[in-house]
Amino acid sequence: MIKASKLSVSLGAGQAVRDVSLLVRPGDRIGVVGESGCGKTMLGLAMIGMTPAAAKVSGSLRLDNAEMVGADEKSWQVQRARRVAMVFQEPMAALNPIKRVGDTVMEPLIIHMGLSRAQARECALSLFEEVGIPDPEARFRQFPHEISGGQRQRVLIALALTCDPGLLIADEPTTALDANVALRITELLARLARDRTMALLFISHDLAAVARSTEDMLVMYGGDIVERGKTAAVLSDPRHPYTQGLLSARPRPENVRETDGRRKRLPTIPGAVPPLADLPAGCRFAGRCPVEMSQCATVRPAEREGTICHQLEAAT
Amino acid sequence: MTRLPVNLMIGAVLVGLVVATAALSLVWTPYDHTLLNIRDKFAPASPVHWLGTDQLGRDVFSQLMAAARNSVAVALTAVFIGGSIGVSLGLLASAIGGLVEDIVMRLADISFAFPALLFAIMLAAVFGPSLTVAVVAIAFINIPVFARVARASANQIWTREYVFAARAAGMGRFAITRDHVLPNIAAPVIVQATIEFAIAILAEAALSYLGLGAQPPAPSWGRMLSEAQTLMYLAPQLAIYPGLCIVVAVLGFSLLGDGLRDVTDPRLVRER
Repeated sequence: MIKASKLSVSLGAGQAVRDVSLLVRPGDRIGVVGESGCGKTMLGLAMIGMTPAAAKVSGSLRLDNAEMVGADEKSWQVQRARRVAMVFQEPMAALNPIKRVGDTVMEPLIIHMGLSRAQARECALSLFEEVGIPDPEARFRQFPHEISGGQRQRVLIALALTCDPGLLIADEPTTALDANVALRITELLARLARDRTMALLFISHDLAAVARSTEDMLVMYGGDIVERGKTAAVLSDPRHPYTQGLLSARPRPENVRETDGRRKRLPTIPGAVPPLADLPAGCRFAGRCPVEMSQCATVRPAEREGTICHQLEAAT
Repeated sequence: MTRLPVNLMIGAVLVGLVVATAALSLVWTPYDHTLLNIRDKFAPASPVHWLGTDQLGRDVFSQLMAAARNSVAVALTAVFIGGSIGVSLGLLASAIGGLVEDIVMRLADISFAFPALLFAIMLAAVFGPSLTVAVVAIAFINIPVFARVARASANQIWTREYVFAARAAGMGRFAITRDHVLPNIAAPVIVQATIEFAIAILAEAALSYLGLGAQPPAPSWGRMLSEAQTLMYLAPQLAIYPGLCIVVAVLGFSLLGDGLRDVTDPRLVRER
């Protein structure tokens, strides 16, 4: 069980993650969505202790019973792979180009789990099979450039699974892949989480992928979790104006063309995420919000049923 | 297959020549290179003595061959020792970072400021001149060079995503250094080693010329050069032959190093 309370990550003058509280139980599948630069990745990195050296992490993060905020690299090393593992966005860059993919997966088994080479090979092969790599024996001896993007991502998932982690953080694992392969990887991650009762934190831009693979979801904006709830509920009945904007910006058949056949412009959320240091002190979405009220920019809204927004506060 | 750079090929041929000669001298030379034959001194080049004999009647060609062996052995040992220590220090600095990195690199800077020849003379003064002194001195000047190359390349590798992925898979700094960083900095280190090899051969010749390296009758191009110096008007060829050998060896390793760098650094190739 992993529990973050008031977890924050500061980068210079700004906060990339602000007071995030999150409880992850075994088998939970949680999607994290939001624009680029809204703190999704930084949250993931904070949960595996790999934030950049310049970042300051505060609050509390408990992996089972160990408090990890302020822990040194050595204590993190013990937790990584066993309790928390991570899959990255770019499968080509995340594999060492001069190592056979089998060796890459065997390394942590030998070093971390203390297996012999033969045992590690056995174990790595069965992991390859589990993540759906066809003909694992042959793939084992190949170099990253010899296999496709989807296969590489599967290898990386196998690498992340080597020490049977309690939580797998997948940071936009499908962004670099084409739609077809992305769908398979998404399904694979959901299946692995179910089969292993492993928790999954699925960070993505892709709302469809999140809908397909997760049960709960978080919407992040400016380092805040602005809305959280059951994936189906959030997607069908978004409450925060940001989530509503995000969902209406999806291309859908009915809003592609006008009645006279002209192409419609896709709805957008006006503006862009401001730089970290310029985020409003109150509600992070102030300044871009269509239903903004006078206190929004300065006063932080309280949480109401998983959503933080002054409008909802006022309504109840 | 793209065409290999010309300097790489010329370098490889020259290096091949030197190394083959050195290897051959282990099993065969026309004469024993220490064999004196005063009656035959200053013999001109002939089918009997291919490059003639020196002031003591020793066969010059045999001496040159044996000296090639000496040069290659000294350079190999010195570069290997200096390179191993330097690369280890560079990797250590890069893996740990912070204060350790600063200390190691500042020490490297300091040792850079220290003239190599002065260091060799100091060693020779303390331990007496010998080939070992030459090896130690050359190895020492190589340490900071390799430490810098290794650290700079390693720091680059540390920012790669596969290192990130390895960390996320729970691997520690030293395991990552061994499994990911070291293999990926092999190319620049090998290039550097080849170039340092050229410098080491030159350094050995210089030290032996000054009498700080190989002692008679041990064969050495530098020592042959210094012995021939006094006979320049009488028998200039005795200075020319070892000089040519030094040029060929140094040029060969330099060209090979440049060529290897061109091949392993794709950015340079594109500019060509």
